[in-house]
Amino acid sequence: MRFRASIENVNTFFRIIQAIEKLQKKCIIKFSEEVMCIICNSEANEGGIQVWSQIKVDSLFTSYRIQSNASNVITMALSSEALLATLKSASTSSKSASAASSYEAEEIVMKLAKKNNQAVLSFEISGMTRQGRKVRVAHDVKIDVMKPADVENLKEPMCPEPDVHIILPPLQKLRPIVERLRPMSDFLGVRANNNGTLQLSIRTDSVTVDTEWKHCKNTNKASTGSQDPDQEPRDPDELFSVLVSTRSFWKFLNSHVVSTTTIACICQNHCMILYVYVGDLADAGGVLTFYIPSQLVDE
Amino acid sequence: MSQNEDAPEEVQLPPVLKASVHDVRYFATLLRGVNFVNRATVTITKTGFVVVVEEARTLLGTAYIFANIFDEYTYNSETPPVPQDSQTLDPEEEDNAAFEIPLNTLIECLNIFGTAGSSAPSAGSGNVTGKYKKWKKGGDDSDQEGDDDTGSRRQSNGTGSTRGIDSYFGNASDKGTGMRMTYAGSGYPLTLLIAEDAAGPTTTCEITTYEAEPHLELPFDPSRMVLKIILKSSWLRDALSELDPSCDKLTFIGNPPPAVPVNGRQRPQPRAANRSPMLRIQAAGTFGSTEMDYPNDRDVLETFECTRPVSFSYRVGHISRTLRALQSSTKTSLRIDDDGLMSLQFLMPSPKAKTDGAMEAFIEFRCLSLDDELV
Repeated sequence: MRFRASIENVNTFFRIIQAIEKLQKKCIIKFSEEVMCIICNSEANEGGIQVWSQIKVDSLFTSYRIQSNASNVITMALSSEALLATLKSASTSSKSASAASSYEAEEIVMKLAKKNNQAVLSFEISGMTRQGRKVRVAHDVKIDVMKPADVENLKEPMCPEPDVHIILPPLQKLRPIVERLRPMSDFLGVRANNNGTLQLSIRTDSVTVDTEWKHCKNTNKASTGSQDPDQEPRDPDELFSVLVSTRSFWKFLNSHVVSTTTIACICQNHCMILYVYVGDLADAGGVLTFYIPSQLVDE
Repeated sequence: MSQNEDAPEEVQLPPVLKASVHDVRYFATLLRGVNFVNRATVTITKTGFVVVVEEARTLLGTAYIFANIFDEYTYNSETPPVPQDSQTLDPEEEDNAAFEIPLNTLIECLNIFGTAGSSAPSAGSGNVTGKYKKWKKGGDDSDQEGDDDTGSRRQSNGTGSTRGIDSYFGNASDKGTGMRMTYAGSGYPLTLLIAEDAAGPTTTCEITTYEAEPHLELPFDPSRMVLKIILKSSWLRDALSELDPSCDKLTFIGNPPPAVPVNGRQRPQPRAANRSPMLRIQAAGTFGSTEMDYPNDRDVLETFECTRPVSFSYRVGHISRTLRALQSSTKTSLRIDDDGLMSLQFLMPSPKAKTDGAMEAFIEFRCLSLDDELV
């Protein structure tokens, strides 16, 4: 089993892990020849939220080499906190000039290693201090390499064909609104139609709050149509809704640090799927997929 | 007001209240000043509305919000017009609509886009240092326009007190949130329609209203007043913010000014240490006590009337409830009657030019003194 890569785009990697870390303290990363998958599928997650992401190797790494008996796939479980701390030391050092010890990271090499019989992901950061001296910083993040049999058991949630696809407003705009709604209600209703309308609403004994966006963009209209040609065309103004845990939606919004475009899909009364694109939509370096299951509430 | 039986027959009754404003920040600041207990009683009249909050049957906070702070304000009486024989009734007293509302929810709804200024008082004037100014938002292209607009309006408000230049910037450069508020009548929710700009989202809030219950009344009788002080709010704010959090009792001590009226600027000559101070704020707690004396200086105490030596104590927990209103106000009037009932009135500077005859909004707190400390 061999694995080695240099991290080219450390800030993007850092932001992705930042979004993941808020969700789950441990995550699974599956490296294959083409993509890196970050998976958070813990049952204990708030509101049952899961993340399955695919990041193209090219968008983050260069001189990427991977070899394993399991058709060149290496799957590991590791602490997202530790990984975040490592990436932070690599990424902030290139930006912040305030700290006296700051240095320019020139190269960051990530490789699989074994130290004291413990598998680690070793990060070697070499750089230059502002005085022009060379420095090397090494971080080892403990990992557990997962057995292929366990990897087989990792299954993405099954979802029906979504009723509506809609491009969300910038997540930074959604955050303050959901921040206000969060203390008011545990459940958040998300509604959208195929005519560019998106609504976030809460309903409690003391207050009802509905926030509506118009003129959002819908995507995948064509594919929904071709799916079932016999079906009579649906009313584009029909709203499809799903009730999710406010806190899990809030956790999804933590991905605002990395998002450019986010597409929300609603499977009426079943779940909500959110595709957070890293980089441009056309030339996406990857996508974080959040699954948020619907909540059942007695009304 | 409970006569609602004939309401359904008249199909389209106009709503009891219809109000709109293009920038909710001032309105939100006034509400936030009394936001220490979630349940507030709102009384709507033709001239504006009054928000009352009470705590522990001791402290009463009241925000007087006049109709002129809104761009549009229409009040339609819910009670059918009474025949003219009822001239004995004072129309201002009688004709109102009252309900209870979760105040914190209302404020959060107004601030749904995060633009109603959550932490900083939007009109933190008198605060020359500009400590509380808001961050300018990046990419705010309405900068120039907003600046001119508000700036000129402010300047026309010639009577305005000393406003630091900083206070212009934080306020003017932000886009405000507009609001339209309707209340259809008793039993209906308070409906808010909130929007940031034409392109952005709109939020509709329906806040459940509850039947108003009688609340604590603490009438202040001016004829029994023993101490009256008017001062710039910052002088009181600085004093109260010095208090150690461990203090639990706050005592206001006032003594009549020296008989000879001296020129305002001049202090009465040698002030011996044992001489009783004109105004002293004394805080006591587990770990010690603090005393703060105010000088007899017109620059500090604009008005000082004291008929006899007084000393009344209050719970710090109650007085600190007033801090938020105090921080956003320009002037404070502090009065105490012979029973120790304290009335604190804070003048809330309005961002609009003062039109003649219109009153500026203010927030009043009344607080009962602690029993065991009588002179």
